[in-house]
Amino acid sequence: MNLEEKVLEIMREVFDQQEVNTDVSQKNCDRWDSLRHLSLASELEEAFDIELEPEEIAEMTDFQRVVSMLQSKL
Amino acid sequence: MTTFIFRNHTVEPFFGYDGMTCSGYGDISLVPQEVDRYIWFYQVSVNVDAAQRAQEVESWRDQLDYVLAHANPNKPFIIFSMVDLFPVRLTGSEHAVADAVAAFNSHVLQLAEANPQVKWVDFSEFTSRYAAEDLVNWKYYHMSQTLLNTRLARDFQAWWRLVETGLALQRKKCLVLDLDNTLWGGVLGEDGVDGIKLGGDYPGNAYQLWQRALLQLSRNGVILTVCSKNNENDVLEAWQNNPAMVLKREHFSAMRINWDDKATNIQRLADELNIGLDSMVFLDDNPAERELVRQALPQVEVPDFPDKPYQLMPFYRQLVERYFRIYAVTDEDRAKTEQYRANALRNSEQSRFVDLDSYLYSLDICIDIKPADDHNIPRIAQMTQKTNQFNLTTRRYGEDDVRQIVAQGWPVFCMNVSDRFGDSGITGTIFLEPLADDVVRIDSLLLSCRILGKGIEEAFLKTVLNLLRLDGIRKVYADYLPTPKNSQTADFYDRMGMTCVATQADGAKRYELALNHVFDIKNCYNIRVL
Repeated sequence: MNLEEKVLEIMREVFDQQEVNTDVSQKNCDRWDSLRHLSLASELEEAFDIELEPEEIAEMTDFQRVVSMLQSKL
Repeated sequence: MTTFIFRNHTVEPFFGYDGMTCSGYGDISLVPQEVDRYIWFYQVSVNVDAAQRAQEVESWRDQLDYVLAHANPNKPFIIFSMVDLFPVRLTGSEHAVADAVAAFNSHVLQLAEANPQVKWVDFSEFTSRYAAEDLVNWKYYHMSQTLLNTRLARDFQAWWRLVETGLALQRKKCLVLDLDNTLWGGVLGEDGVDGIKLGGDYPGNAYQLWQRALLQLSRNGVILTVCSKNNENDVLEAWQNNPAMVLKREHFSAMRINWDDKATNIQRLADELNIGLDSMVFLDDNPAERELVRQALPQVEVPDFPDKPYQLMPFYRQLVERYFRIYAVTDEDRAKTEQYRANALRNSEQSRFVDLDSYLYSLDICIDIKPADDHNIPRIAQMTQKTNQFNLTTRRYGEDDVRQIVAQGWPVFCMNVSDRFGDSGITGTIFLEPLADDVVRIDSLLLSCRILGKGIEEAFLKTVLNLLRLDGIRKVYADYLPTPKNSQTADFYDRMGMTCVATQADGAKRYELALNHVFDIKNCYNIRVL
């Protein structure tokens, strides 16, 4: 599974919603609220064995930003 | 199924979102009646002052009593025991917090014994599995007030599902026990009375401890019975002559030792003891026997039996938790209750409260209202960015925007809130746009969710309105702009006595208020205008 697919899978689980695609962002997804945002960060940290700083977590506001943040860490 | 959770930290990652509604943080002002169950999940809050932490824990005991007295009496009320997730002891002998936590937990046990609506969940059962440094993740705590480490969310959910199943289960009355390889190692008919494994070295010692554990169940009212394919005389001889035997003939209320099928035997045991099949738990090491009983008598609980004798003690704990946790009140408990009552009486003057206002009064809430200045503008801007729930218009401003607004002459106030348990900092703000010499419009009004549930929003707005009136303002306009998150403020201005003059299709509302009188403010707040 490549990185993007893995991120999508984690997002589907965290948001508890099947329709999540690469266009997803905090703006267009109701379930991506501030608490689930942190759950998402926590799950990503665990899945990719990385540490995200609070400032970095705050920047990950859409799918592409999440992916580029992860790429910069891996 | 709808659940209402009283909490003082963020708990959504652990309990999930569907069907769950959470109180505000430490907020007991709302006790909904139309729910299927309540959960009380308070954990000791983060604070470096041990005396304050201890006092706060003591005050939660009273708050819990208050909530329980106002909750729907027909719905389960599940109370989590309290754990100090991050104890810091400055001196080795510091024990105020530990004492307060122990007193709280003992109080909860008393509630569970006295009130069938109350179920008690031992949260330490979960936390004790982890190293102290794994329990709190400070990054997420500071970002979201989630005290328990979010990494543990999945484990917590699995554990909580088990606990829930256990809570829903009816307490069982009777344990039906196989003998060979269940109460001792080996087969009596082949190994002989002295050849079975019981006592001495492993695995005999494991079976002996297991028998002692079952004896303990029997002493606490669980009926023990035997259902075994064996020669009855061999068994009677083993009970009489094997010196390592803990459980003997006299500990079993009934037995079926024969070669008939076990489903028939269990049915006969139920008839003999005059108890329902649904109050029986059957233990047997043989999976085929378990399956037969499951199929033939689905009302009987048939847990899987551990493969290894060294797994018997965890299995015992699981049995206790799932089927036999004892709620009966013993003499010892009665003595404790008496003691507790005496303590409660002693504490009553300082801490008891009967209604919400006296509770608020007991908190010593201080509200300091200040105009925006260079020091607080960054925080004010940050609040407009982050506050979603109690936010009437949800207008987002950067620091520069706020500076500009203030420079234009808008009155902008912020509020610092503290109580006897600590200081919450700047947690509310209001922006007022002057429309004429004696007219203003409330552009923004918001409060952090940390301080909701104490009527502070009302005291804040009314104080500001009184100030405006003193400044010669005679008319105030205000708006409510709905978002997916701020529905709790939809009727706030109505409650403040404002008149709704227009409603839009999307639910947005416009209000007017003539400032021709002084607003009364409850005297449970110490309000200072700086």
